[in-house]
Amino acid sequence: MRLEKCWFCSSTIYPGHGIQFVRNDAKIFRFCRSKCHKNFKMKRNPRKVKWTKAYRQLHGKDMTKDTTFEFERKRNRPERYDRNLTEQTLKAIPLITKIRHDRLEKHISNRHKPGKRKEMEKDSKELDQDIGMLPKKLISNEVAAEKTKIKVKVVQQQTEDNAMEE
Amino acid sequence: MASRVKFENSCEVGVFARLTNAYCLVPAGASEGFYRCGVLEGELAGAVPVVRTSVAGTRIVGRLCVGNKRGLLLPHTATDQEIQHLRNRLPDEVVVKCVDERLSALENCIACNDHVALTHPDLDKETEEVISDVLGVEVFRQTIAGNILVGSYCTFTNKGGLVHPQTSVEDLDELSTLLQVPMVAGTVNRGNEVVSTDMAINGPVRFAKKS
Repeated sequence: MRLEKCWFCSSTIYPGHGIQFVRNDAKIFRFCRSKCHKNFKMKRNPRKVKWTKAYRQLHGKDMTKDTTFEFERKRNRPERYDRNLTEQTLKAIPLITKIRHDRLEKHISNRHKPGKRKEMEKDSKELDQDIGMLPKKLISNEVAAEKTKIKVKVVQQQTEDNAMEE
Repeated sequence: MASRVKFENSCEVGVFARLTNAYCLVPAGASEGFYRCGVLEGELAGAVPVVRTSVAGTRIVGRLCVGNKRGLLLPHTATDQEIQHLRNRLPDEVVVKCVDERLSALENCIACNDHVALTHPDLDKETEEVISDVLGVEVFRQTIAGNILVGSYCTFTNKGGLVHPQTSVEDLDELSTLLQVPMVAGTVNRGNEVVSTDMAINGPVRFAKKS
């Protein structure tokens, strides 16, 4: 039993899932579900289809170069069975997947950072400039309250003047 | 030293067994008469380890894998468990390698002994390099009597070889000089021209059909 990768979306194909297509030149295409199979039959290029791993790696959305990928490379020369080696490998596999997953998440959040910063700047600018656009009932912060306070003071002085004149 | 043998009542011994100077591969599940009653393990007894295996889940191990004393080449269709099993059983000097090749019945495409290999003219360049690297042989692309399946129509060891009966005399001489061993044209199994399927040979021992 071997867990293969889907040719179209690169997800793992577990036993009992998917379809394999063998072309006349003896090349085998494995698909994880009918979605990928149908896309293949439509002759779509996975590198142009946004939700596939091929697209994401090509366009830098997902991490491409990392040492954790080296562990999964197909090696055509088998090693003699060694119980210790096998045990250690089995223990290492979940660790490696966790590390790879964490690195991938970090890669994605790093990719989002400059965009987030820009958004924050834009938001604070909008707050400074356009706070007066909001109806007064909604204004609850100090800056807006100060602005309204200033207006009130001017009115009181005028009435005092009037009183004095009279 | 030749022995006549049948595998499960079939005369095509070369399809089922892979015999070299360093090891012998046979499929599991044949009658014990094939293994025990003085045939395989008797003749080879101790000189050569006999490994029971399947390749790609099939019993036609003789046609799928090719090798000599230095190495064994398996098709990409061989499962991981089989590869591991072979690696565990075979002596360390024998290099076990999987070949990614469109023509996966390797023995039909490659005929080799410990020094020279004849291959199918359409074999991949990469595969040719792997053969010369793993088996340590010189590789020649050839046809035998106009047939591209060199591994089926010709079989040879370090001492000599047999080819398809319709090979011309000039071709025969050319092959002999190329391989540096005497070659003879003939049939096996009462007129079967596909000589390689009916015989399993290595240096000292030869197993051929019963009839």
